[in-house]
Amino acid sequence: MIKKKRLLWPWHLLTGLILVGLAIALWYSTSLISYEWRWNRVPQYFAYHAEEAQRAADYGRVESIDADGSRARLVLSAESGGQQVVEVDRDSLQVAVGDDVSEGDSLGVTRHWAAGPLLWGLWTTLWISMASGALGLLIGLATGLCRLSPNPTLRDLSTVYVELVRGTPLLVQIFIFYFFIGTVLNLSREFAGVAALALFTGAYVAEIVRAGVQSIARGQDEAARSLGLNAAQSMRHVVLPQAFKRVLPPLAGQFISLVKDTSLVSVIAITELTKSGREAITTSFSTFEIWFCVAALYLVINLPLSHLAGRLERRLGQSD
Amino acid sequence: MIEVRDLVKVFDTRGQVVRAVDNVSTQVARGEVLVVIGPSGSGKSTFLRCLNGLEAFDAGSVSIDGVDLADPRTDINAYRREVGMVFQHFNLFPHMTVLENLCLAQKVVRKRGKAEREDKARALLAKVGIAQKAAEYPSRLSGGQQQRVAIARALCMEPKVMLFDEPTSALDPEMVGEVLDVMKTLALEGMTMVCVTHEMGFAREVADRVLFFDHGKLLEDAPPAQFFDAPRDPRAQAFLRQVL
Repeated sequence: MIKKKRLLWPWHLLTGLILVGLAIALWYSTSLISYEWRWNRVPQYFAYHAEEAQRAADYGRVESIDADGSRARLVLSAESGGQQVVEVDRDSLQVAVGDDVSEGDSLGVTRHWAAGPLLWGLWTTLWISMASGALGLLIGLATGLCRLSPNPTLRDLSTVYVELVRGTPLLVQIFIFYFFIGTVLNLSREFAGVAALALFTGAYVAEIVRAGVQSIARGQDEAARSLGLNAAQSMRHVVLPQAFKRVLPPLAGQFISLVKDTSLVSVIAITELTKSGREAITTSFSTFEIWFCVAALYLVINLPLSHLAGRLERRLGQSD
Repeated sequence: MIEVRDLVKVFDTRGQVVRAVDNVSTQVARGEVLVVIGPSGSGKSTFLRCLNGLEAFDAGSVSIDGVDLADPRTDINAYRREVGMVFQHFNLFPHMTVLENLCLAQKVVRKRGKAEREDKARALLAKVGIAQKAAEYPSRLSGGQQQRVAIARALCMEPKVMLFDEPTSALDPEMVGEVLDVMKTLALEGMTMVCVTHEMGFAREVADRVLFFDHGKLLEDAPPAQFFDAPRDPRAQAFLRQVL
């Protein structure tokens, strides 16, 4: 059969049309249930202008007010003889020169940008993912190598670990870690959450590592050993680099799963992205908008992650 | 130099017992070239792999320069440093360039400095005739070039003995010559060599002695002229009738 050259752009156009059609259908169906979209309420959950009240420290008098751009500098003299200098935003000034003030009186506010709950949640999700991912990788590497060890005890222990972790739900493991192990060892909730996620990921990474190492032809190890490398050197320099290249796609998948699984630690009251979203909904009532934002924020982590994995794969593929 | 005494290797897979190497004794003098031939499944590769401990044997002893492989106090890694091996399927490290392939063991095992190991590697690449491929990955090389890199890689460790496990069997016919030429040069330089091969011309031309294996037994051990012209063992006679 002769290979025909096909035009590609009409198909991409069709894809675009289908996506637009789906979006319109979604919009139409929400209009049927008379849901009022209020996207303008959402940005404040990412970042907002926080106000901090500035108060007089003692009974006294306002001596002077110097305007300095949008700021105002107040000098207060206290009855006890001290002096207090306060800076506030000028438009929030609540006193004038010569006013008497009591301890705790509000003089004005200073404003600054602060991260809202969704950004804090994103940050928490990020660091929990990174910490448990790094730990999980180490645990998985060690366990995977133990699974292949000639030592029967190491082999048995690693098998028991992998089977126990793979056979129970992550949610249950998180509860066990927090309520049982966390109570016995007095762990913080973050530590318990990260440990549960790391052990869970480790079990899957172990199987990925084992499969990767086993997929490398035995001749590679034999060649390395025949040159005088010992078993560890052969593993480190010859087998693992090749295995790593081969298991990169499943490994990337595992880490993407991990990022999503961090949503489960919200059950032990860690305020990560999902829990932040739930809290944002309780004050904004913008259920749909917030959940869409939460989903988008998970994508913000995961799309670059899979892009990175793809690039790494291509770079390691140089030698093919 | 190499001393093999009553070597026995038994494969026991799912109740099927195969005596792959059956009571073999022989010795190789320094600078001698041995060619091991025999039908497939005759145990000649297994015999070769026992010589550097890639295959653990069941009984007997193998020693090189008085270092006994069967002695539990022997450091197997130190032993293997002195024994180079070339495989049928080259087994180059695909994730490393040719130069890195040659430098890895020098660096990790011999602890040579960067300049020293790279000079050594380039000199050996020049010797096997592929100096210009130092920066390439093995996948860009032809089979014959890969096998020559493999030979150079083994030589980097300055081994006392070189073992060849059917080095030309996986090659296209027109590439066999270039690999055999390298092996002939090595033999002329006085390297002690044990070669499992099906290249009868090479055996006749280069070998000092020819060993004939069948069903794990060493059936004939003779100079090539005598072996090819007047083999004594009937199975060797039958084998030669088939291949010549």
